[in-house]
Amino acid sequence: MINKHKLAGILAALVLVSGCEDSRILETTGFIHSASYDWLPNGNINYAVSVPVANPDIKTSSARLFLQTEAVSGKAARIKLSRHSNLLLVSGQLRTALFGINLAKNDIWTNMDTLMRDPTISEKVKVVIVNGNAGSLLSRNFPAYPRTGKYIDRLIDKEAAGHTIPVTTIYSFARDYYDDGIDPIAPIIKDAGDNIVIDGIALFSHDKYVGKIYAKNAIIFSLLQGDFKQGELSINLSEGKDTNNSIMISAINSSRKLHVKHDNYGQIQVNIQVNATASILEYRGSLELNDNNQIKKLEKEMSEHITQRAEQILQVLQKKKVDSLGLGKHVRNSMTYRAWKQLDWKSKYPDIKIQCSINLKIREHGFI
Amino acid sequence: MQEKLSQFHVIILLFMTQSGMVIFTLPRLLAQHFGTNGWLAILIFTAIISINILLISAVYRLGKGKSIFEIMEDAIPKIILVPFYFLIVIFWSLLGCLVAKQYVLVFQMIAFPTMNPMLFKLVFDVLLYFLIIKGIYNISKAAFVFFGAIIWMIVLLIYFFNDFQWSRLTPFIFQDSVFSIRGFLDVYSAFLGFELCLLLIPYSNNKTKLARAALIGNLLVSFNYISLALIAFGFYGHAYLKNLQFPLLSMFAYIQLPFIQGTEILFYAFFMFSIIITSAMYMWGAKEFGRRIFSVNEKIIVSSIILLSLCTSFFPKTIGDTEQWLMHLSYMQSILAIALPLGLILLLFINGKRVRSSD
Repeated sequence: MINKHKLAGILAALVLVSGCEDSRILETTGFIHSASYDWLPNGNINYAVSVPVANPDIKTSSARLFLQTEAVSGKAARIKLSRHSNLLLVSGQLRTALFGINLAKNDIWTNMDTLMRDPTISEKVKVVIVNGNAGSLLSRNFPAYPRTGKYIDRLIDKEAAGHTIPVTTIYSFARDYYDDGIDPIAPIIKDAGDNIVIDGIALFSHDKYVGKIYAKNAIIFSLLQGDFKQGELSINLSEGKDTNNSIMISAINSSRKLHVKHDNYGQIQVNIQVNATASILEYRGSLELNDNNQIKKLEKEMSEHITQRAEQILQVLQKKKVDSLGLGKHVRNSMTYRAWKQLDWKSKYPDIKIQCSINLKIREHGFI
Repeated sequence: MQEKLSQFHVIILLFMTQSGMVIFTLPRLLAQHFGTNGWLAILIFTAIISINILLISAVYRLGKGKSIFEIMEDAIPKIILVPFYFLIVIFWSLLGCLVAKQYVLVFQMIAFPTMNPMLFKLVFDVLLYFLIIKGIYNISKAAFVFFGAIIWMIVLLIYFFNDFQWSRLTPFIFQDSVFSIRGFLDVYSAFLGFELCLLLIPYSNNKTKLARAALIGNLLVSFNYISLALIAFGFYGHAYLKNLQFPLLSMFAYIQLPFIQGTEILFYAFFMFSIIITSAMYMWGAKEFGRRIFSVNEKIIVSSIILLSLCTSFFPKTIGDTEQWLMHLSYMQSILAIALPLGLILLLFINGKRVRSSD
C-alpha cells in the first residue's frame, strides 16, 4: 500500500513533469516582435518578420533577424520562414502588425483573421498602416534609432500620448469593424529616408482603406473624436497674408459634446461642440498678450481657424463616405431600432448636416 | 451530533457551484441569443431561478426537513427508484467530469497546445477524489477558501472602464437576434448548480435557512454575471461579442502588465478553484445517490464515480465536442432542476394524503 506522502509526491511529480512536455527553450525560440503584410498582384502576400536576437556576441542593441517570404497567408509564410531559421518562430511577443497600403486598400480583414484567432497573439498588438511597402520599411535599419520594430512601436506610443494619432490595436480595429455606427481608423507611417515619419490617420470604410487625414490635421481630428488631455498644435494665422502671425499651443485639454437632431423632414443634423483650453508656448504676432481684450481677440481668431479646419476634415470624411468619428453611434442611439435599420447609415451619412464649433480658451501665456 | 452547514457557507458553496465554465462564453451566448443589451436577460434568468429555488424551498417546508431520498422512498418502492438513482449517478458524474474536461481543454488551447490533456485531467480527478471523500462540510470550507482566491478578480473589470462606452451598448433591447429555446437553455446552463441545494436539506437546520441562502447565492452569481456582461457589451459591442469564442479569455488577454504578457493564462489558472467546486459538487451529488443504491464504503463509490468519469472523458476530444456534450447534459439538467422539486412536492402530497387516509 502506498502511503499518503508517496502518493502526494507522485502527484506533484506528475503535475510538474506534464509541464515539460510543452517546453519552449528561450535560446532556440525566435520571438517575432513585428510582422508586416504586403499585397502582391497574384493574390498572395509578402510576409516579413523582425525577430530580436539575444546573442551575447553581438553587442549592438539593433541585433535582429529579418526574414521575408511570399505565401498565401501569414501563417503559411511563417512555416516557410521557419525553414530559413535555426529558431522556432513564435508570435506570443508580437507587438506591431504593419500593413502595406496596397493591402489596406484590398484585403486587410482576411489577414487579420490569424491575429485575432491565434490565442498566443494579444489583442493589444498595434495595427499600423505603411504608406508604401511595409516589408521594405521593416527591412531597413535606422542607425540612429532602436531596431526598426521597436522604433515604430515607441514612435506610435509617443505620438498617441500627444493625440496626434490614435493607437489602433487589433481589439479596437475589430471592435469598430463590427460596430455599425463607426468605421475603423489606424495610424499611417512612411519611410522618410533617415527615419520613419507619422503620415497621418488612415481612414477605412468597413475594411478598405479609402484615404487619410494628414498628420498636421490629426490633432484636430482628435478634438472632434472625443475628450482628451495633452496635445500640441501649431497654428499659422497668417496663411495667405503677408504678416507673420503664428502661435503654438500646448497642454490642450478638450471636451466634446455631440447632439443629434431630427427635423420634421427626416433630416439628421449633428452638432459637435468642442471646448478646449490650452497654454501658449510660442507666439509670433502683433498682439499684446498681457491685455485681456487682446487675448479674447486671439482666442476668437484661433477658434475660428480651428473650426474651419475641422469643417474641412468633416467634409473630407463625408466625401469619402467614412464615419471615422463614430457619429453613427450617436445617431443610432437617438432612434428606434426599426428606424435605424431602415436608415441605411452608410448611404445617408454623406448627406447629413454636420455643424461644428470649436471654442478655444487660453489658460495662460507663459512667462511673458 | 451531526454538524450542520452555516448559511454563509451554503451561499458561498452554491455561488462556487453555479460559476462554472459557461462564464467564459456567457457574454457571447447573451449576444447571440438576446442581441443588443443581452446582459439584461440575466435579470430574467435570475427571476426564473429564484422561482425554481422557491419550489425547492417548498420541498423543504412540506417535507419538514426530510431528505429527498426519504421523501422518494416513502412513496415509491426502492426497486423502481434504483434505476432512477443509477441514471442520476451516471448523469451527474458525467456532468462533473465534462466541466473539468472542458476546463482542461481550454487550458490546453491557451497554454500547452501539445500536452496530453488527459494527464492534466487525471491530476484534476485525484484532487477531486480527495476533496469529495472529505464530505460536504469540508467541501464547503474549501469552497470558502477558493472563493477568496477568485472573487478579487471582479476588481479586474475596472481595467476596462477606459475603453467602455455607453454608446456602444445602444438603446435597443434584445434586437438583432433570433430567440430560440435552445439559446435560452444555453444561457440557463450558466446558472445551474443551485438545484444541488436539494441534497443539502439533511445537512442544514432552521438556522441555515437553506432557501434564503440559495437565493442570496443566486443573486451573487447574477451580480457577478451582470457586471461581467455589462462591461463586455460596452467594451466589445454586441456584434463583435457574437464572434468571440471565449469573450472572458479575450478580456483577460487584454489586461497587460508592463512586466508580464499572456496574462490570460495566469488568470485562467485561478478559475480552477471555481471549476473544481462545480465538478466536486456534481460528483458529490452523484455519490449521495450512489450511496442509496450500494451500501459499501463511500470511498469505493467516489473512486468508481471518478474512474467512470475519467474513462468517459477520453471520448470527447475537442473543445467543440465537449461543449456539445455539456450543452446536451445541461439541457437535461435544466429540466431536472424543475422536474425534481415538482415531482417531490407531488410525492409529498400523495404521502400526506396516504397518511391522512390511514389515520
